[in-house]
Amino acid sequence: MTSIFLTGLQYLGCILIFPGFLFCFFCGLLLTGIDRKLVARMQKRVGPPILQPFYDFFKLLGKETIVPAAASRTTFLLAPLVGLAALVVIQLFIPIYGFSAFSGMADIIVILYLLLIPALAAILGAAASGSPYAGVGLSREMVTIISCELPLVLVLLAVAKVVGNALGTGLCFSMTEIARYQVENGSLITKLSMIPAAVAFAMVIPGETGSHPFDTAEAETEICEGMHAEYSGAPLAVFKLSHAVKILTLTSLFVALFFGGIGTGIIAVDGVIVFALCVIATALFISFVHAVTARLKIEQVFKYYWTAVSGLALVSLVLAWYGL
Amino acid sequence: MIQFNYIAAFFLICLGFYTIVTKYNLVKTVIGMSVMDYGVNLLIISIGYTPGGTAPIFTAGELTQASYFVDPIPQALTLTSIVIGACVTAMSMSLIIRLHESYGTLDTREIRRLRG
Amino acid sequence: MNFTNMMDYHHFPIYAVMVLFLGAFVTMVCGTRPSKNPNNPAGLRAWIALCATGVSLLLLVLLIKPVMLGGETIAYWMGSRGIAGGYAIGIALEVDALSLFFALLIATAVFVSAIYSIRYMVHDDCVPQYYVLYCLLAGGVLGLVLSGDIFNMFVMVEILTFAAVALTAFRTRVYGALEAAFKYLVVGCMGSSAILTGVILLYAQYHTLNLAQLASLIPGSMNNATKLAFAFLYIGFSTKAFIVPFHPLAADAHGAAPASISVLISGVLTKSGIYGIIRLTWFLFQTMELGAMQFMLVFIGSVSMFVCVTMALAQHDFKRLLAYHSISQIGYVLTAVGLSTALGVSAGLYHAMNHTLFKGLLFLAAGAVLHETGTTDLGKLGGLSKKMPHTTVLFLIGAFSISGVPPFNGFASKWLIYQAAYQRAVETNNIGFLAAAVVALVTSTLTLASFVKVTQSVFFGQLPPEYENVKEVPFGMRLAMGILAVLCVLTGIFPNTVMSVLTEPAARAVASVGEYIMAMGFKATVPTPEVSFAHVGVWTPVNWLLILCIALLALTVAALAGRYDQVSASQGENVETKYQLFYGGEQNVYSQVGGGDLFWGFKHNWRHYFDFMHDLHSGVVNDYALWAVVALALAIMYMMIAL
Repeated sequence: MTSIFLTGLQYLGCILIFPGFLFCFFCGLLLTGIDRKLVARMQKRVGPPILQPFYDFFKLLGKETIVPAAASRTTFLLAPLVGLAALVVIQLFIPIYGFSAFSGMADIIVILYLLLIPALAAILGAAASGSPYAGVGLSREMVTIISCELPLVLVLLAVAKVVGNALGTGLCFSMTEIARYQVENGSLITKLSMIPAAVAFAMVIPGETGSHPFDTAEAETEICEGMHAEYSGAPLAVFKLSHAVKILTLTSLFVALFFGGIGTGIIAVDGVIVFALCVIATALFISFVHAVTARLKIEQVFKYYWTAVSGLALVSLVLAWYGL
Repeated sequence: MIQFNYIAAFFLICLGFYTIVTKYNLVKTVIGMSVMDYGVNLLIISIGYTPGGTAPIFTAGELTQASYFVDPIPQALTLTSIVIGACVTAMSMSLIIRLHESYGTLDTREIRRLRG
Repeated sequence: MNFTNMMDYHHFPIYAVMVLFLGAFVTMVCGTRPSKNPNNPAGLRAWIALCATGVSLLLLVLLIKPVMLGGETIAYWMGSRGIAGGYAIGIALEVDALSLFFALLIATAVFVSAIYSIRYMVHDDCVPQYYVLYCLLAGGVLGLVLSGDIFNMFVMVEILTFAAVALTAFRTRVYGALEAAFKYLVVGCMGSSAILTGVILLYAQYHTLNLAQLASLIPGSMNNATKLAFAFLYIGFSTKAFIVPFHPLAADAHGAAPASISVLISGVLTKSGIYGIIRLTWFLFQTMELGAMQFMLVFIGSVSMFVCVTMALAQHDFKRLLAYHSISQIGYVLTAVGLSTALGVSAGLYHAMNHTLFKGLLFLAAGAVLHETGTTDLGKLGGLSKKMPHTTVLFLIGAFSISGVPPFNGFASKWLIYQAAYQRAVETNNIGFLAAAVVALVTSTLTLASFVKVTQSVFFGQLPPEYENVKEVPFGMRLAMGILAVLCVLTGIFPNTVMSVLTEPAARAVASVGEYIMAMGFKATVPTPEVSFAHVGVWTPVNWLLILCIALLALTVAALAGRYDQVSASQGENVETKYQLFYGGEQNVYSQVGGGDLFWGFKHNWRHYFDFMHDLHSGVVNDYALWAVVALALAIMYMMIAL
């Protein structure tokens, strides 16, 4: 009885503290802060303090929450919460070096689909607000999802094939197995066929998180933050937090898939290492890209992902197919 | 000579297809469907045919080893098929009447509100 | 015959079919007095139809234990006339796990739709005749899947086509209903004639119409006539499943029929076509070991999947969009079946079941919208979630299911299909199966996109002024949708139970042809293979759901502890400025973003493709007939060369 209680407590700890809410909250907002600072420095601005996202978050919590008269109230208020919870749950399935909080519950295809839920929650929230700006925003968000899906699928299939080849099973979808393989044999990035896949995944990260130049769905200057046009107060704070956590999720997924072989076996140290790698990934793929590009049009986003990025991912898949 | 029946049957089926595909009048389409049906019926009845066989109608006492008759099953199938064919024609004609009422034409090229 | 003998479960299949035909007959002759109840103009007849479908469902559910779990194959000779001189002379019903699986799907959809019909059809005239046709359609489809005799299958196909055509044209005043019915009748009859030709060619070769006996005779003695028969039968059942190139008919027929019938055409008729194709390829001709056959089914399945989902994206009518999606989902089923592995077949059947559930739900939701607003045009609707909250939630469950959002049922089956396809690709080192897996994954996202479009255009966004007085649909209709929604969720959360009780026995039955033949008393040379349902992925929805609930609970507690619930909302009629929508400082006007142009960024890149497809689906019946003839010719050529 005590042992069940302790296991339950341990799982609860995982969900609430590490690698669940508390971890996501701090690391996500910290990543956003670092991102903003870096972009500012690259653009020769001073930029906000690194802790600015925390201040923003708590300030928004204190603001009045206004539900527009045209909105469907329940969906409007529930959507941010569901989105955030779903993101945190994905974070639980992404292994950190050898450690994964809930091993054997989801594979990479499941994670691909779980990533849809936060986006879908945001879309439904936006639709429920009734605003035409949100309507345009959600349309663009959906097109961005379609754009990113093809390269992501190809990358994940390539990874499954490479790990499967190495393990002798032909293909391997399990996240835990992929992590274990990398712990034993070194990171996947060292494989020739995985380099294009890693690059393609890196290119998908800004699209999935909606950062520059793929932030057409939020485009402040054109459609007034699009999906978040009618949000205010606490729900907006939750959305901002979700955005921060999404950056963490995608970068840590990137790290888990391609740099999973770097670690020590001590969870606390590994957590720090993974976070450091996430910071580097954010700096390279989000901040740097943000600083040097201008926003694309939505049809350009689609074209870019379905030609250039998918092409890279396809190269990787074909290489993996022939055992390179 | 039974080969001639098979050729005729498939010719009728193809003629039916041809009519349905090329004729733009709804009534002609229905005629095409009927012709196709007759082709199939001819095929069925020809398959049951045995040269020199009698009609498969017997009472229990008459049936012996020496009885030589055509296969009765295809004949039963043909009956079913003919009935179905008649129903199809009736149904399509009733649809055509209603179509003519609401569209004012029998030209298939103009009856295309649903497309894309 | 005494009562206990009559209640022997071996009689249940024929009872299940006959009760529906009897229902059709009784509905016709009784209850002629018009009902005074405005909520049920058909009066007694509606209840008769409901009882008939209910009894039929109950009888089939009782068969789960012996057939699905016990592994028995029920061979039933009508009038106890069985085999004489080595040939089947009686008319047989043969129920193995595959037949029962499809029969259960059909009976469920028919029953739920009958519940829905009672309140849905109140605005129509001739409702009594509706129930007659309804029972005929249900009986036809059920008879088709339970039959052990190929000519009977043809007869049932004709009955169901007939009833379906009549019901498609039932609302003669609906835009395009007559036209849709006529097109469906022409191409459907070409399909039926093709089936009859195939049947008779087989009879000429083997002198039997019994499925089991044909299955024991045909393999090993394939000649050109048999191949011709195969091509004819395949095309015949393709028209019933509406797979490419017969998909435009589905769009027309589903869109024009009353919603309760769309459920049957989409969830039930297409399944009967798929059932026919499985019976042909796996049982009668046993050609699924051939690479050529696998290629054909996977190719046609993938093309159906992709073409129909893109066609759906271009639609601006709610029901027409759903219709194209049903063929897209049938493409998944066909692809999975064509993989020719136990896992693939099991996944395909799972998806077939899910498709019946979620597509039924979606069509019923579309019907609810039509019932209240009188239109299904995506460009005219909007903001209904405030007026019809329950319908919205039920629709969303259906939309999430079809888009494959975890943990709903669409995800469980699609996930298995991806695995089966990729596993097959790795096993055979054939990159074609890999392409099928990628197409399936991308199709799933496009499906999500088009349901986001529907959600935004119909249920969210702004309410058009003319729908201010729209009400929630009556309880009877919500009950029907609720049943399907609950089933959607349950089959998604407990995939292992569904697989072990329903799909795996059915997939095992597909693999063990020998048992099907021997159950009828014929000699089988095919050994029963070892069947493995092993797959490489992991997905435990219950645990995931538990974690999500804990996370959501924690978040809600935190949110309530903060100021999340202290929301300021507008009071009364006079809306303060801060509760009005933001229009960049302009006057507040009605403006709904939705309808056909929602995914401009996507469509712009593919405009040539969309233009081409739009021109191709010309709506002229001659073109569709031409497609059918060309498909038939291609099928004959392919069978002659490849088999």
